[in-house]
Amino acid sequence: MTYSSSLAMNRSRFSGRNQNSVSFRTQVHALGPVTNTITLIVLACLLGLLYLTQVTKTNAYGFQINSLQQTQSQLQTQYNNLEVASARLQSLNRVETSAVAKNLVSVAPSATVQN
Amino acid sequence: MLDKHAFIQSVQRVRIWYGALILVIGVFGVRLFYIQVIQHDHYEAAALSDQLKQYQIPATRGLIEVQNNSSLLPIVLNQELYTLFADPPLVKQPNQVAQKIASIIGGNPSQYAGLMSTKNTQYVVLAKKLSAQQSTAITNLQDPGVGTQGQDYRTYPQGSLASQVLGFVNDDGVGNYGIEQALNKQLSGTPGELKAITDTNGVPLAATKGNIQIAPKNGDNVVLTLNLSMQAQMEQILQKDYQSTKSQGLSAIIIDPNNGQVKAMANYPTYDPSNYQGVTNPALFQNGAVTNAIEPGSTMKIMTTAAALNQGVIQPNTTFFDPAHWVVDGFNITDIEQDGGPRQQSIASILNLSLNTGATWMLMQMGGGQIDAQARNTWYDYLTKHFRIGQPTGIQQGYEQVDPVTPPADNGAGIDLTYAEMSFGQAIQMTPIQVAAADSSVLNGGTYYQPSLVAETVSPSGKVTKTPPKVVERNVVSPKVSQDMIPLMEYVVQQHLASGFGYLNFPSNYMVGGKTGTAQIAQAGGGYSATNYNGTYVGFVGGDKIQYLIVVYNIDPNVPGYAGTYGGQPVFADLAHMLINDSYVTPKTQ
Repeated sequence: MTYSSSLAMNRSRFSGRNQNSVSFRTQVHALGPVTNTITLIVLACLLGLLYLTQVTKTNAYGFQINSLQQTQSQLQTQYNNLEVASARLQSLNRVETSAVAKNLVSVAPSATVQN
Repeated sequence: MLDKHAFIQSVQRVRIWYGALILVIGVFGVRLFYIQVIQHDHYEAAALSDQLKQYQIPATRGLIEVQNNSSLLPIVLNQELYTLFADPPLVKQPNQVAQKIASIIGGNPSQYAGLMSTKNTQYVVLAKKLSAQQSTAITNLQDPGVGTQGQDYRTYPQGSLASQVLGFVNDDGVGNYGIEQALNKQLSGTPGELKAITDTNGVPLAATKGNIQIAPKNGDNVVLTLNLSMQAQMEQILQKDYQSTKSQGLSAIIIDPNNGQVKAMANYPTYDPSNYQGVTNPALFQNGAVTNAIEPGSTMKIMTTAAALNQGVIQPNTTFFDPAHWVVDGFNITDIEQDGGPRQQSIASILNLSLNTGATWMLMQMGGGQIDAQARNTWYDYLTKHFRIGQPTGIQQGYEQVDPVTPPADNGAGIDLTYAEMSFGQAIQMTPIQVAAADSSVLNGGTYYQPSLVAETVSPSGKVTKTPPKVVERNVVSPKVSQDMIPLMEYVVQQHLASGFGYLNFPSNYMVGGKTGTAQIAQAGGGYSATNYNGTYVGFVGGDKIQYLIVVYNIDPNVPGYAGTYGGQPVFADLAHMLINDSYVTPKTQ
C-alpha cells in the first residue's frame, strides 16, 4: 500500500464519521400507488371512449350505407318500372289500337322492291 | 390473555369468511367456466339468433330482347310486385282488417278474415302480385300482423307473343320451358349473401367483425334472333289458318339458312305466360316446333332427292319409268294420287307430283337398282350423318325431342319396306326445327348450321358476347347439288300456281320454291289412320340467293284435299308474301 492510498482510505473512513463531506445521493420523485392506479383508470377510460367513438362512428356509416342502399334499390325499382312502361308503350297491340293506327288506310302492295 | 384469545378468534373468523369467499368465488368460477366454455356454442347460438341476420340477396334475372328493325326491344322484363302476408296471432281484429284490405286490393273480405284466423301458423299469404301503390296503401294501414314483401315477377309487354319460345319463370324463380329453361343459369345469375350482426331494426352494424356481404351477380340479358314483326305476323297467320283449317295445331319456323338464325318460330294454340298458372292443358307450354316430332311426309323427298343427286346416282334431268307401284317386302308402295299410271317421269315430277314410287326409285338407285343393304346403309348415313336426323339440333329450347332413325341392319321386320317408307317421309319422325336445319343445309351450299335463337348475350357490366353461327357439318351435299335443288323446288311452286293455286303468285324478281307433304298419322295401336293426315310444307324465299327457309306443320287439318296442299301450303304462301311485302327479302339484281 502506498502512502497516498493509505491516506485516502483513512480520509474516507474519517469523513463518514465526521459528516463533513459532500453527499451526492440522488433525489427520486416516484408516483405513489394511488396516483398510478388513477392514471391507469383514466387512460383505460380514454381508450374505451376512443374505441366507443370509433365504433359508433363506423356504425353510423353502416346506417348511411343502409340508407344509400335503400335509395339505390328504390331508384332501381323506378328504373325497372319505367323500362316496363316504355316496353308496354311499344307493344304491338297498343300500336295497333292507337289513334294513329286507326287513321291509317290499308292498301295492297302496288309494286315490289326493285334493286 | 383474553386479548390474545379474542385476537385468535378474530383471525379464525376472518379465515372462515375468507374461505367462504374463496368458495363462493370458486363456485362462480366453475359456473362461469361451464357457461362460457362448456356451453359456449349454445349461448353463442342463442345470442346470434337474435342479432345475426343472414339473407340471400336475390340476383336480378336478365331480360329477353328481340330484334325490332334496327334496334332491340325487351319482351320479357322484371317488375317488382308484392305479396301480402299476415301473421295470424298478431291480427287482433281479422274482420275489420279484412274489410280494409278488400277496400284496397278488392277480393272477398271473408276469405281474408278466414285466412287471418288460421290457427297454428305465423305466415299466411293473402294475395300475390300487388302493385307498389297497393303495397304502400296496406303498409300505411299500420295494422299489426299484416305486411307486404316485394318480389320480382316476369312481365310480358307483348302479351302472348312467342310465349312457347320464351317459356316462363315459376314462383321459385326457375325457368320452365323454352329459352327460360334452356338458359336458366345464364339468365338467373348468382345470388349474393349478407351475413351480419344487426341492430334491432335489422340494420347491419358496420363495425362488427366477421360481417359478410357478397353482392349478387345479376343474370345476363339475352338478345334473341327473333324479328318482332315477323314473329307477330306469323302468329296471326297461324291463328287464322288454325281457325280456317280446324286443325289440331300448327307450328311454323322462318330460318335464315345461311347462318341458322331463327327469325320467327310459333305454334298455335298458345298461352299467356303471365298467367301460366291458369293453363289447364300443359301441352300448351311445349314449343311444338322443337318438341313435336311427326312423320313429315313428302317434304322428306327434298332430302331423298338431294342425297341421290349427291351420290351421283341421278341427275336433275334424269328420267325413269315409273311403274306406279313397287312391291317391297310383300307390300305395295303406291302414290297418294295416281297421276296417269305407269309412265316416264322426271326428277322434277317426283317432287311436283310427290311420287312415293319416285322416292322409292331414288332409294333403289342408291343401292345400284334395288333396295338392299347398300341402299339402306347409304340412306341411313345421309339421314344421320349428313342431315343429322335422330340427333338434337342443340337449339336453345327446353325439351327438344329426338326420335332415333331405324338402323339399316336387317331386323326381320320388313326393313326394306321401312327404308322405302323413309324415302317419302313415313316410318321416320322429325321436328320442324330438325327439318329446317337439315333442309337449310341442302339449299345453302351444303353447310349444316346449328339452328340458334340467341343473337347475343349482354352481361350486367355491359359486355356483349355475340353468338356466332356454329357450323356442325360441312359438305352435307355439294354446292352443285344445292344449286340443282333450287330450280326443282321452284318448279313445284310454279306448277301448283299453274294448277290453280293463285296465292302462289309471287313477283318474278324473287325466287320462291317449296314442297308439300301429306303424311298419314300413325295410330297408337299400330298402323295408320285411314282418314286423318298431317300437312307439312318446306319452302324458301330469296333473290339472288335463298334468304329464308320456311317450315310449316299443320296437325290433322280438316281440309277438302291433301293436307300438305290445303293445310300447309297456304301458310307458307302467307309467310312468303309477308316477307316479300315487308321488304325482308332482297330481290334479284337481274
